[in-house]
Amino acid sequence: MRRYARTLGIIIVLVVASLLILGFQTFKIGNFIRGGDTPLGLTLGLDLQGGSHLVYQASLTDEATGQPIIPTADQMEALKKTIERRVNSSGLGEPNIQILGDDRLLIQMPGVTDPDRAKQLIGETARLEFRHRQLEVARAIAGLTQEDIVAVRVVDAAAPVATTTTSVESATSTDSNATSTDSTATSTEPVITTPPVPEPRLEIDFTEAGATAFAAALAEMVRSLEIVPGNPSVYPTQLTIAVEGSDQPALNIPSSRVLIQPGGFSIPLGGDPYIRRVPNTNTFRVNLIAGLTDMTEAQQRFGNNPTLNLGLLMGKLDESVGLTGDDLSRAYPGQHAQTNRPIVNIEFTPDGAKKFAEITGRIAGTQDLLAIYLDEEELIAPSVNQAITGGSAFIEGQDFTIQRVRDIALLLESGRLPIPINLIQEREVDAILGKDSLEKSLVAGWVGLALVMLFMVLYYRVPGFVASLALVVYTILLLAIFKLFNVTLTLSGVAATILSIGMAVDANVLIFERMKEELRAGRTMLAAINIGFNRAWSAILDSNVSTLITCAILYWFGDALAAPLVMGFALNLAIGVALSMFTAVIVSRTFMRFIVATPLGKKYGLFVPSAAKQLPQNQKPAAAADARS
Amino acid sequence: MNFMKYRKFYYAFSILLTVVGILFLVMNKGLNRGIDFTGGTAMTLQMADPVTQEQLRVKLAEIGHPSAIVQNFGNNTYFVRTVQIDDPAQNALVDSLKTSLSPNGIEVLATELVSPVVAWDTIRNAGIAVAASAVLIFFYLWWAFRKMPNPARYGAAAIVALAHDIFIVIGIFALLGFLFDTEVNTMFLIALLTVLGYSVNDTIVVFDRIRENVLNHTNRTLTENANNAITETIGRSINTGMALMFTIAALLLFGGPTIREFLLVLLIGVLAGTYSSPGIATPLLIDWENWRKSRAAKRETARAQQPATA
Repeated sequence: MRRYARTLGIIIVLVVASLLILGFQTFKIGNFIRGGDTPLGLTLGLDLQGGSHLVYQASLTDEATGQPIIPTADQMEALKKTIERRVNSSGLGEPNIQILGDDRLLIQMPGVTDPDRAKQLIGETARLEFRHRQLEVARAIAGLTQEDIVAVRVVDAAAPVATTTTSVESATSTDSNATSTDSTATSTEPVITTPPVPEPRLEIDFTEAGATAFAAALAEMVRSLEIVPGNPSVYPTQLTIAVEGSDQPALNIPSSRVLIQPGGFSIPLGGDPYIRRVPNTNTFRVNLIAGLTDMTEAQQRFGNNPTLNLGLLMGKLDESVGLTGDDLSRAYPGQHAQTNRPIVNIEFTPDGAKKFAEITGRIAGTQDLLAIYLDEEELIAPSVNQAITGGSAFIEGQDFTIQRVRDIALLLESGRLPIPINLIQEREVDAILGKDSLEKSLVAGWVGLALVMLFMVLYYRVPGFVASLALVVYTILLLAIFKLFNVTLTLSGVAATILSIGMAVDANVLIFERMKEELRAGRTMLAAINIGFNRAWSAILDSNVSTLITCAILYWFGDALAAPLVMGFALNLAIGVALSMFTAVIVSRTFMRFIVATPLGKKYGLFVPSAAKQLPQNQKPAAAADARS
Repeated sequence: MNFMKYRKFYYAFSILLTVVGILFLVMNKGLNRGIDFTGGTAMTLQMADPVTQEQLRVKLAEIGHPSAIVQNFGNNTYFVRTVQIDDPAQNALVDSLKTSLSPNGIEVLATELVSPVVAWDTIRNAGIAVAASAVLIFFYLWWAFRKMPNPARYGAAAIVALAHDIFIVIGIFALLGFLFDTEVNTMFLIALLTVLGYSVNDTIVVFDRIRENVLNHTNRTLTENANNAITETIGRSINTGMALMFTIAALLLFGGPTIREFLLVLLIGVLAGTYSSPGIATPLLIDWENWRKSRAAKRETARAQQPATA
């Protein structure tokens, strides 16, 4: 009995957990997010839920004439296959992909929860390129010569002297003065006058041409601090200021506040810019940060109109090395053999392997990185530990998750998209079945379930009630699993679910028929239950194993064929069948044991309705056997 | 009850159904491929008057496009995919919709050819997948019935019953296709896979009972044991079949028209699957046994006669 009490406890916990999962429309634990604005927050397919409707146009141009050309049917078919594979393996649900006319591709995707990720995965022109990334490379400022620097002086931005070239900095200092004036006026606090902290600034006057060149360099510095979505770190490009003939180290100043870490991965902090142009002049004002806050020191260094050597320290410099997506033969997600962390495996063509060996040989052992660009956008930039000559390598990263490596692998593969495409239409579209039809089917589903339960209760009485209860438990657990594992529910999934419900009912029918036989044969209630369950087990096991075999084959074939429809069916059926074994055997058995322990267990007529006449209530089992014979 | 006595009738019935199926399959040149497999014409229609998805679908069915896929873009604009139709037919379709649904006009925003959603290859490959799983199920059953005499026969008989059920469904759809132009789409494929699962499940339940009887009553013949097994499982078979039938019937009656074809396959499949376990799989076991026995007996008599002639 104790054992069953514990099992019952586990079942109740599972049901309550499932109800919680289903009850909260969406929930989030760390990175684990489930749910959405669908019924119960389930992931639904295109037939049950609307989604995005994207139309892409193939843009193939003749290289010689530059005239657009219409792709061949084979090319379009190859394009369709590539995108199908990409979307299918991304877990974005079952897409509907069709070629429209001669040169357009229609992609419908269920749900619109993450259209940007979808569009990114589909990719547009998807040109993949590997580049050699050097860090902290000194460069001259283009178009700026020594003659362009007219004058250099040090000023104090904090000095209350109102100059004509008032900048924002002096404005803030004026503000703080204003506040202290206010407090004097109210005079509730003692007035302490402190001299303003000096804020040395270097002012450089340029010629017209010099100012233009310097402004361009400044714009480049600002750009280097822009954050790319998904990557919070930057490679700041800094201005280097050295005094000719001085043995002092050059000053490196970014365009605004930034937390600089060696080897990239710096974080921009925002705030007032460090370098700015004094409005309507050719003068630039530089905040001498980092150590040069002392006015005297700044004066000593820059006060005598010295000859300045201005340059740029590039945070990163990427150079093409002639290694592109054409050289890549394969990219697929995997796991590191030792650390088990997600990695991306890459393999090159023989030609690509040569180039890859050359570039990795050059980078290995230095701080340099291998930057991988997709459509001029950085995808990842791994470092290289050693020269890789074998033509295959893997990429690992601190922030790599299973989804991230899958996406990266897909995007790397997409470098081989057969035709460049452009998004020409994007809109939302409703479910294929339509709301009306869906609601009707849902009602019908409930009616069907209720009918099955009614039938079971009428025909099998108490055991039928237990089976119905097990069916309710089954439905709750199944939906919770679907939500938890983000299983896409489509019409084919519903078909699989109907079949697995049928099998769950079947297992119970098998057991109860068996129980009835055993009761008629004169066994006690408890013995009949045990025999019923034990004898029926072999049939339940064999049939479910056969079904699971079918599921495995269909899933595998579905994957090879890129037929998500078949895969979805197989997955749904496998989950349903595995769960039905649990509910039909363990759950209903536990419930039965409990009911038998109550006074209801004495009423044989409630268990064997058809034998009620032959089996008077509370009759001794042995006597029952006699009565029958 | 002596179910096995009438097994010639079961064979005759199934063979008749199969022959009729083949006949219509030939006459109809296979099944009618729906637009999931053929592709067709896609139109974007903007209605001047408010029209629901349901109204549009019903109207399209009325004017000869029962398989049209209608999706709502919102703002009274619909994305409609039909079988491939030429310009005059398209104009006729739009005119017809205009008079009945949107008298204030319909603007055709776009019209183009669409490729199939699923290549017809998928069906062929799904067939290969089904064959592969049938082979594995055969080996599994061989192993599961290893304690029985001639265990391989159980696997073989279950697979024959499975093929029978699938064939009945295909045959009936060939017939419906011939008579009513019924088409098969991807959901047909899914429904067929569902029938496959059900058929094997049902056969195994009966075989499991035969296995138990054969092991417990070694003194009885296979026919006796099989008859008992069917008598003992018939209640369960009918009850399970009924439970499924309730669900399907409820969906057919109350559910939308879009999944009717799918439910019809399930309905026929469940009927065939329930029938084929006692009607095909079990008789096959018995006839196989009898055939081997009579062959052995003949060989025995032949051997007995041989010295006499020599």
